Amino acid sequence: MLRWFARRLLLAIPVVWGVVTISFFMMHLAPGDPARTALGEKASNASVAALRHQWGLDQSMPLQYLNYLKQLVHGDLGTSVYYHAPITSLMAQRLPVTIILVVLSAILTMLISVPLASRSATHPNGIAAVAVRLFNAVVQGAPTFFIGAMLILFLGVRIAIFPAGGYPADIGGRAWALVLPALTIALGTVPIMVRGLRAAMIESYGSEYVAFARSKGLPERPIRYGYVLRNAGISGVSILGIQVGALASGALVIEQVFAIPGMGSMLMTGILNRDYALVQACTLVFGLLVVVVYLGTDLAYARLDPRARLS
Amino acid sequence: MKRLKTLCGAVALASTVALTACGGSGTGSGVAQSGGDLVMARADEATSLLPSVPTDNASIWVIEEIYDTLTVPDQSGKSVQPSLATSWTQSPDKLSWTFHLRKDAKFTNGKAVTSADVKFSIEQNQKSDAPFSFIDTVITKIDTPDAATVVFHTKKPWSPLPADMALYANSIVPADYGGKSATEFAKHPVGSGPFKFASWSKGSSLKIVKNAKYWRKGLPHLDSVTFTTVPDSNTRATQLASNQIQINEYPSNSSIKTLKAQPNLTVNMFPSSEIDYLSMNVRRAPFDDVNVRKAISLAIDKKAILQAVYYGHGTLAGGFLSPTTWAHNASIKPVPHDVAAAKAALAKSSHPHGFTTTIMVGSGSQDSSSEAQLVQGDLAKIGIKVKIKTLDPSAESTAKHAGNYDMAFGLYTTDIVDPDEIARFAGTYDGGSNTLYSGYKNSKMDALAATASSSSQQSERKAAYDKMQQIIADNVPYIPLFYVPGIYSYGKVKGFHPAATGNYFLEKVQLTK
Repeated sequence: MLRWFARRLLLAIPVVWGVVTISFFMMHLAPGDPARTALGEKASNASVAALRHQWGLDQSMPLQYLNYLKQLVHGDLGTSVYYHAPITSLMAQRLPVTIILVVLSAILTMLISVPLASRSATHPNGIAAVAVRLFNAVVQGAPTFFIGAMLILFLGVRIAIFPAGGYPADIGGRAWALVLPALTIALGTVPIMVRGLRAAMIESYGSEYVAFARSKGLPERPIRYGYVLRNAGISGVSILGIQVGALASGALVIEQVFAIPGMGSMLMTGILNRDYALVQACTLVFGLLVVVVYLGTDLAYARLDPRARLS
Repeated sequence: MKRLKTLCGAVALASTVALTACGGSGTGSGVAQSGGDLVMARADEATSLLPSVPTDNASIWVIEEIYDTLTVPDQSGKSVQPSLATSWTQSPDKLSWTFHLRKDAKFTNGKAVTSADVKFSIEQNQKSDAPFSFIDTVITKIDTPDAATVVFHTKKPWSPLPADMALYANSIVPADYGGKSATEFAKHPVGSGPFKFASWSKGSSLKIVKNAKYWRKGLPHLDSVTFTTVPDSNTRATQLASNQIQINEYPSNSSIKTLKAQPNLTVNMFPSSEIDYLSMNVRRAPFDDVNVRKAISLAIDKKAILQAVYYGHGTLAGGFLSPTTWAHNASIKPVPHDVAAAKAALAKSSHPHGFTTTIMVGSGSQDSSSEAQLVQGDLAKIGIKVKIKTLDPSAESTAKHAGNYDMAFGLYTTDIVDPDEIARFAGTYDGGSNTLYSGYKNSKMDALAATASSSSQQSERKAAYDKMQQIIADNVPYIPLFYVPGIYSYGKVKGFHPAATGNYFLEKVQLTK
C-alpha cells in the first residue's frame, strides 16, 4: 500500500512538470505583452521597456524558464503583476472557494444522479425514465452559463431565495451564495453520471448474483442498495473522478457568471492580462488537483472493489 | 483611461432573455437620506490603489475618492477647479507654475497636507515605469519654498499644467508614503479625499468609508461605499433589479431599452470624452493611398452601426477632439454615407476595383464583432473584401503597437481636461500611438501640438487644435466613428453625476428611501 502510494506520487512528478512546462511556453509564446497590458495604451515605450526589464521579460526565454523552475522548486509561485500581490496569498484566498465549490457540486451531482439513475434503472420504460431522459437531453444541450443565468433569474430574482450572484462577507451568506453556482456546475455533469450509473445498474440487475439474491428471497430494497448500487457505484466513482476535471473547468465559467471570487475568475483575469506567473500557478494547482483526485479515485476503487489490488 | 469593452458574447445572448423577464424593486426618485452604504457593481476589480501604478478605470475611480489632487475637473470636463490648491499662476517667463495649497486639508492619518507631500507624490509619477509618467516629463524640478507653496519648473512654456495636476496619477499621498514601503502603503492607502480606505477582500469587494474630517464641510453624505466585482453584465443587471446593488457600471448597450422600461430604475447617459474609431494602417498598401481611405470612410454606414450596435446611444463623430473639450472643431461634420461617392473615390485610387483586406477585432467584445460585420457588408458594396480576424485583447494591442494589422477598431478617452493629451495621442506620430496606430506622420501636426501647448492664449490654442482636426479629417488615417456617452443604471440613488472625465464625485451622492 505505502509502496503503491509512493510510486504514484513519483509518477505525478513528470505529469506536473509537463503541465508546468506546457503552460509556461503556451503563455510566453502567445502574442501580447504583459507590460503593455499593465501600463495601458498611452504609456510611453520607455515606460513599457522599464517595466519589462523590472519583470525580467527582457531575458531570453530559456533563461526565464530556468528561473521559473528554480523558483518553483523553492516553493515560490511568484508575484502576480496584475494583482500586485504574491500568488501564494492570492491562492490562499481563492483556492478554498473553488475547492468548496467543486466538492459541493460533486455532492450535488451524486444527490441528483443516484435517485434519477436508480428510478430509471428499476422502471426503464416508465414515465419517470422518459422524464429523466428528457431532462438529460435539455440539461446537456443547454450551455452552463445559460442555465446559470436562468437559475439566477428564477431563484435569485423572481422567487428571491438565493442571492443573484455575489459573495458576501459572512460565512452563512457565503455558503448560501455557493448553492446556485454549485447546482449549475452539477447540472452539467448529472446527465453523464445518470447515464453511466443507469447502464451499470441495469447490467447489475441482470447479473447472476442479483438473481441469486432474489431466489433466496431478499426484498428489493436491500438488493438495490447492497448489491446493485454497490456494484454500479464502482463505475459511478470512476465517472465522478474523470468528471472532476470537467467540474473544475465548469467552475471557471460559472464563477464569472455568479461573481464568485475563486480560481476560475482569477485564471481568466490572468490570461486576459498576460499575467504569466499567475496563469502558470493556476494551471499547476488545477493539474495537482486532478492528480490528487485520480489518486483518490484509485483508493476508492480498492475500497469498493476487493478484486482491485493496489499494486 | 483604459476601458476594455469586455462582454462575454455568449452571456450577452442570455441577457436579453433574462432582462425582459426581471422586475425591479428600487425607487428612482425617493427622499434623500443621510448616511448608508452604497453598493456599486463593476465588471473588473481594481488592480492597485497606489496612484502612480494603475491604468484601469476600476482602480482610478476608487483612487479619486480616497485621494485629492491639486486641481479637480469640473463637471463638463472643460476646465479645472481648485481642490488641494486654491490658486495657481504661471511665471512671466512662462517656465514655471506656482500652486498655493489650502491649509485645512489633512490626511486621514491626521497629518496636514504640505508641499513636501506634493513634491513626493508628483515625483512618484515621474518614475519611468509609471504609465502616466509622460504627463509629468515636462516638469524638470519641483521647489517647495514653504509648506503651502509648490513651484513646478517646466522644460518649455506649458499651459496644460493645471489640468495635468487633476490627473488621478498625480494624486497627493503622504511624503515617503508615511514611512512605509510602496507595497505596504498600497495595502492600507492614506489620502485626504472624501472617503477613507476600509477593507479590500480581493476578488469580491472593496470598501471605503466616510472621511469625517474631510475639508469640504458637510461632505460626503454617505457612510460608506462598497465596490463589488461582478464580471457578468447580466448578473449586474439582475442584482440592480433586486436592489442588491444601487449602481451598475456599464450596463450592456443591448440591455438599456429593457432597463429604461423599469419604473424603479434610472438609466442615465453622461457626456463623456470617449470616441470610438476605425483605424487604417497607412504604412501598408493600399491604405497608403488617401483615396482608398476616403472611399472606406464614405462607404461605411455609421448611422446604421450606431443604431444596430449602440442602440442609438451616441452621436456620429466629426473632429477627433471630443465635443466635451473646448478645442472641439464643430465645423467638421461627420462624413456622410455615400456609396456613389465612395466608388468614385476608389476609382481615383491605386485599386479602382477594390481589394482584399482584414479587419482586426478584439475577442470577447460582442460590440466590436457586430461592428466588423456591418463594415464588412458596407465595404463589399464598393468591391473591398474584408476578412474578420479575431485576436484576444492583449494580442490585439501588441499587433496595433507593432503596426501589424490592416484595419482595427479602438476607442480613446481623455485623462486630463486639457485637449493636449488627446491632441498628441491621436494626432501626432510620436504622441504614444503613432497617430492611433495608423502610422500617419505629418510634421505639421507636431508643430501645431507644440504651439497649442505653449501658448497661453486660448484663442491661439483653439486655432491650432482646429487645424489639427482638419488635417486628420482631410487625410483620414483613421475614421472617428462615434462620440459615446458614459452609461450607468442605478436604483435608489440621488446626486450621481459622473464628470466628462469619468470622476464619480461620490461625496455628493445620496441614497434615497
